[in-house]
Amino acid sequence: MPTNSGAYGENDATDKKTTGTAGNETAADNTRSTGANGDAANANGADTAANLGTEANNTASTDETLNAHVKGGSSGNGGKPGNKKKGWIWAVVAVVVVVALIVAFVVVRSNQKASNTAAEGHKADSVTVGLKLAPTNLDIRNQSGSSLDQLLVGNVYEGLVARDSENKVVPGLAKSWEKSANGTSYTFHLNKGMTFSNGDKLDADDVAWSINELMTKHYHDSESLMNFKSVTATDADTVKLDLTAPYDNLLWVLACRPGLVFDKDANYDMKTQAVGSGPYTVAKFVPDDSITLKANPRYWGAHKAKTATIVLRYFADDNAAVNALKSGDVQVLAPVTENLAAPFVKDSAHYRVAAGDDTDKYVLAMNSKGAKTSDVRVRQAIRYAIDHKQLIASRGGADKPLGGPIPSLDPGYEDLTGLYPHNVAKAKALMKEAGYTPDHPLELRLTYANTYGTELGDQLRSQLKPIGIDLKVDVVEFSTWLQDVLKNKDYDLSLVDHNESHDFSQWVNDEYYYNYSNQKVKDYYNQAMAASSDSQRDALLAKAARVVSEDAPADWLFNYRITTAMKTGVSGFPLNLNQTLLPLYNVTYRTSVK
Amino acid sequence: MRFVIRRFLLFVAALLAISVVIFAALRILPGDVASVMAGLNAPPERVAQLRSQMGLDRPLTVQYFSWMGGLLHGDFGTSLLTGRSISSTVAMRASVTFPLIVLGLVVALAIGLTLGVVSTLSTHAAVRSVFHFVAIVGGAIPALWGGLLLILLFGRGTGLLGILPSQGFPEAGWDNFGSALTSLVLPALTVGIIDGASLMRYTRSALGEVMNSGYMDQAMACGYTRRQAALKVGLRLATPQLVSVVGLMFAGMITGVMVIENLFALPGIGAGLVTDLGNRDLIAVQSELFMLAAFFLFVGFLVDLLHRFLDPRLKHAVQGGAQ
Repeated sequence: MPTNSGAYGENDATDKKTTGTAGNETAADNTRSTGANGDAANANGADTAANLGTEANNTASTDETLNAHVKGGSSGNGGKPGNKKKGWIWAVVAVVVVVALIVAFVVVRSNQKASNTAAEGHKADSVTVGLKLAPTNLDIRNQSGSSLDQLLVGNVYEGLVARDSENKVVPGLAKSWEKSANGTSYTFHLNKGMTFSNGDKLDADDVAWSINELMTKHYHDSESLMNFKSVTATDADTVKLDLTAPYDNLLWVLACRPGLVFDKDANYDMKTQAVGSGPYTVAKFVPDDSITLKANPRYWGAHKAKTATIVLRYFADDNAAVNALKSGDVQVLAPVTENLAAPFVKDSAHYRVAAGDDTDKYVLAMNSKGAKTSDVRVRQAIRYAIDHKQLIASRGGADKPLGGPIPSLDPGYEDLTGLYPHNVAKAKALMKEAGYTPDHPLELRLTYANTYGTELGDQLRSQLKPIGIDLKVDVVEFSTWLQDVLKNKDYDLSLVDHNESHDFSQWVNDEYYYNYSNQKVKDYYNQAMAASSDSQRDALLAKAARVVSEDAPADWLFNYRITTAMKTGVSGFPLNLNQTLLPLYNVTYRTSVK
Repeated sequence: MRFVIRRFLLFVAALLAISVVIFAALRILPGDVASVMAGLNAPPERVAQLRSQMGLDRPLTVQYFSWMGGLLHGDFGTSLLTGRSISSTVAMRASVTFPLIVLGLVVALAIGLTLGVVSTLSTHAAVRSVFHFVAIVGGAIPALWGGLLLILLFGRGTGLLGILPSQGFPEAGWDNFGSALTSLVLPALTVGIIDGASLMRYTRSALGEVMNSGYMDQAMACGYTRRQAALKVGLRLATPQLVSVVGLMFAGMITGVMVIENLFALPGIGAGLVTDLGNRDLIAVQSELFMLAAFFLFVGFLVDLLHRFLDPRLKHAVQGGAQ
């Protein structure tokens, strides 16, 4: 293009001097005088514009331009238009060919690399795990969300105690502990020779400091350490924790965030770095994308990392995640929806798909103080109307029905699915009693976060329609849900995956968004927390859960079970609870020799 | 020169107005970063404590001016959630998005310009209508579907011809140049083919318009063949129009590649913006939107200047109008 415009300019200029008509010359003169500082391009532009002005001028000047072109064409440039065009095409072809060659070369090379590593049949130095929910920062003391527990607890940070894949408390930094007879004082005996990844010693001072910081600064989950009175280091290996009243849940709580031990002498930005005592350290953290864990060379304990590098990659899009497993970019995928995992199930020579237990409860909360849902008959009718088997089947069938607030991995579990069996006739009768029929339906709004997909809302709408409920489904952003439902309690029905474990206290908290309050439940719960034995506690919690379920402040759609898909050759990857507790030290990937 | 200054002043005024609009609009959204950080089980006191720690309880005007003050110093702020400087986060994301857009644009230009010119010049009605059909169908492909199709064809592990990576960006970024480039090939093709189809339509109509004008007749009267006239005179005349379209396309791609970034799991600007907005990390979102808006305006500004450079007639028209 530039050569063209250059040609225009030159030729016009010469033409004006030699063959210009009278009219055209005046036009050109005019522009020259108006644009006093006009350069050649300016004059040229003015000329063309002026030429457009009148027809007479127009003909004259285009003639001129064309003359110029013809002239240009005939004088010396004669062969050039064709050559130029060809040159242009050749240049494009050359560029395309070169780019294609480079790409092909790179592709072939990287493929070779990939197949080279695959052909070797030994333990891989690095395993890549695909996960779904990404942590936005590493500040486990302030930032909520199970993705941080999943990433850091047991891998990078360690707690005073830990929990195993059956959700039971096991020794952690403390190798043993004693509880006083009245249940208000605990003494923890720590392991010896423990260090943080920065080389600092980990002793009782760090433990006491960490818990005191938690309580004075009200870090995340500090409220779950109930009845807390004081914590002190009695010597370098012993920590004493006192309570104001017995609290049965204490050990379990200490196996989670409140029990994590941080280095009191280290100074680092907790949002982007992590200094812990666990088998791994955070080598690289790209928010919302990936985290690279490297084995901690200073690790003190028995859970030494078996694989030197573990990369965790986060996929917001389920299809992208599945493609990554297929293409070998990741070796493990957790969770994967059962429907998307079907091809892996079929290809059992290369993949293994398994479901693990979890404490995820899909809670359809029904606002107990809502204008339309305060009528217990409506809430009961909804519970009778929901066909849980159908919901579970449409998701693939691995999830378990759940009739109450306590899942099987938590203390106090009892099968309560018999309380409200699927019974449309009964549901219709209750709705009629409350004054609604399919012809005069009750309009209810279901609000839930878009992370759960639209299918559940659609299914509930169609299941509730026959009993006289017109369900409007409002799928919103999680932050909107937090504001409208959790904070303002402005909702009829809400759906959330409550994945927390040991979270029954939600039902004794009058301020919680359920708007549920029952003194009987509170009494049972408080007795359970002060119980002298585990069996007594479990019996009391089960009683409390039964009362909650009978009151129908919510329906528990199902107990979600995580489906994990992995390449054959991966071993040591935890299946149970792996969305909140994912110890990675045992994970290895052994490629098979062909 | 006066034109450039006037344009620049307009550019600055628009930026100021946009900063107010962005700031205000984001404050209307329900929910805030403190409650996202506190999560499901935190008591209200904890949320309040986080709000005051993050300075979200200050009056809105104070928050606005502290943000603007930072911007004037070139400080885009620090994300409340990630604790990283927003400009470095955006730079990291842009190192994925911009190469993707440029590659996409190259593909789009290669397809759009070539096919557009060929279809205009073709003398067979049948060929022209085939091209027309291709343009319409190509332009109507949803990016998501087109991308999935390409993955099915070429994605490593999934595709019939599994030669290209379809997921993610190498951890080492552009230090690992080969992998970085190959990871952008499929996404760039997805964007490029679809935008190429619409560019083809623009090329056809721009060139077609010129072809029907007197310029062509006269060019041919002077001895050019139809093809020569189209390539030498026609394309030159259609250039300004095409530059506008390509400029807008370039700016539009930044948000347009959002879907593509998600599909190919690329940590780019669009994917990042969606995440930050979902987390209600408003300081990050407002700075990112501001940068995007500034970029859009800047591209517009450049296109205007380029336009005048390529089509000198405009300059005279403005001057004539002023007299």
